[in-house]
Amino acid sequence: MTPAAARSEAKRLLALSLQDGTVAPDRVAAVIEALARRHPGHELRPLLRAYLGAVRREVARAEARIEHAGPLSAEAAKAIAGHFSAALGRPIRPVAARNDALLAGFRVRVGDDVTDLSASGRLERLARSLA
Amino acid sequence: MSDAIQQIQKAIAGLDTRAGKSNVGTIVSLADGVAAIEGLSGVMMNEMIELPGGLQGVALNLAEDTVGCVVMGDISTLKEGMEARTTGRLLSVPVGKGLLGRVVDALGNPVDGKGPLASAERYPVEKIAPGIIPRKSVDQPMQTGIMAIDAMIPIGRGQRELIIGDRATGKTTIAIDTIINQANANRVGLASGDPKFRPVYSIYVAVGAKNSSIARTIGTLEKAGAMEFCVIVAAPAADNAANQVFAPFAGTAIGEWFMENGQDALIVYDDLSKHAAAYRQISLILKRPSGREAYPGDVFYLHSRLLERSARLAGKGSLTALPIIETQAGDVSAYVPTNVISITDGQVFLQTDLFNQGIRPAVSVGLSVSRVGSAAQIKAFKQVAGKVKGELAQYRELAAFAQFGSDLDAQTKGVLDKGDRFVELFKQPPNAPKAAEIQVALIWAMQSGYFADIAVKSVQAAAAALQTHLESAKPKVLGRIRLGEKIDDAGAAELKSACDTWKRSFKA
Repeated sequence: MTPAAARSEAKRLLALSLQDGTVAPDRVAAVIEALARRHPGHELRPLLRAYLGAVRREVARAEARIEHAGPLSAEAAKAIAGHFSAALGRPIRPVAARNDALLAGFRVRVGDDVTDLSASGRLERLARSLA
Repeated sequence: MSDAIQQIQKAIAGLDTRAGKSNVGTIVSLADGVAAIEGLSGVMMNEMIELPGGLQGVALNLAEDTVGCVVMGDISTLKEGMEARTTGRLLSVPVGKGLLGRVVDALGNPVDGKGPLASAERYPVEKIAPGIIPRKSVDQPMQTGIMAIDAMIPIGRGQRELIIGDRATGKTTIAIDTIINQANANRVGLASGDPKFRPVYSIYVAVGAKNSSIARTIGTLEKAGAMEFCVIVAAPAADNAANQVFAPFAGTAIGEWFMENGQDALIVYDDLSKHAAAYRQISLILKRPSGREAYPGDVFYLHSRLLERSARLAGKGSLTALPIIETQAGDVSAYVPTNVISITDGQVFLQTDLFNQGIRPAVSVGLSVSRVGSAAQIKAFKQVAGKVKGELAQYRELAAFAQFGSDLDAQTKGVLDKGDRFVELFKQPPNAPKAAEIQVALIWAMQSGYFADIAVKSVQAAAAALQTHLESAKPKVLGRIRLGEKIDDAGAAELKSACDTWKRSFKA
């Protein structure tokens, strides 16, 4: 199976793995089981790899990964995710991770887009403007 | 110190405190100077990518799931899993007069150890060439200082003239001599205080050359006092292919600053053969389909969009390009040479045979052409050199009969004798360009028969003696020629008197 064919098939499988617009673990399990039954070993690996990449990207799109320095309450994380849900028009769930290297504030990544409200980010932008 | 504090305070006051937004991706593979990055969903073609460790890259391949990013720097510091982010900017380089006398790399970073550049502006490396309407016809001379070229293959400001030949035929020497000649002319012109004088600034782009060659070139330019009017963009063979691909574009951006600001510049691309090879390497690594000689399908466009940016603009300045192409075994019908020949406004073809015969510069007058022609010559030059190309063509036709010297009629012998002397006159040592007025005077003397009774092997010495005599005895006549005046009867009389005096005292 060519990489392009694997990518195309992975897209189709991703569509089958969604429930209410989000990736459902039970559907993913069912897809993997079906793949293992239908495809021989040498075809299965590239297909699974492409499928994994597609699922990973879709999960990242549905998540707001909030890196924060200092404490962040669950309500605050929910409010941040709610803001992005409203802006992007799709459900986004918060995933918080502490990162003291940010010094203060937080940084939110949804898919490939990063919104930086941290102190370290502002200092970096200041340094770049002085360079 | 207070300046630094003020600068920091100003930057803090002007700091945008809104959220910083960027688009990121993750490096999934690294190979041969190219990073495959997953993510970067918002990246644009040719956008600069910020990589860890202060490295920069350019997004050249936008595939469905990954972005092929050419890394401009040492890729060994990167690892799979590292984050890359878009910058929202295209690749740009510092420009301005602050770069004169400096050596920079393909990103515009100084590499000569002389500290930061004094430059306030940046120009994008990739830019759309001027259209048809903003252009002006080429009618101002770009004197190379090389008689064989200025007399028979004249180059104008805003022209693209290819220098093509096998290895070690003197291509780089011609380019360097041209740069030195501009510096010499600049010094004379600026010292004269003539308000109409327009200096020419030079940019030398070294692509894929040995570091020792680049160092030698810099030394030659410094010795000739040409570095103060010159910028060197260095992408040596040790640099990664991305730097070698972008270096000519960076040099062009530097030249465009002069052109856009009403000044004249000359850019030398040494050489575009290595440039094409570097582009081929990058394209193959990016898995782009390959065509003839494994070059990608857009190798013509690579050079056409580069060279089309050299032009003369109405109401502004000009950028003259001297691209260099190295042929293999004199094959001008190879892929990249034919591409560049069709793009440029003429070519100076250097032949190994001529070089080995001692005819240096080894310019093949028959195969060389300037499509701008005498429109780019000063009046005096057109007056004396207009017939030289035809006479030398006739000479070459008759040279086959030279072995039958005793059986030739007087006219044929005359043509052959004059041709031999012209060929000898046009020989020039390297790094010794001649001013236009001197060239005109020497050719005038040749056409007037002053060299007819001088032995061929003494022509060079005779020309040197005549030059010294003219510079000391007739500076005013030379000055008028330099300012573009025709040789009128009075001027011709003065030249005749000077040549008579010289001839009386010259002993071959």
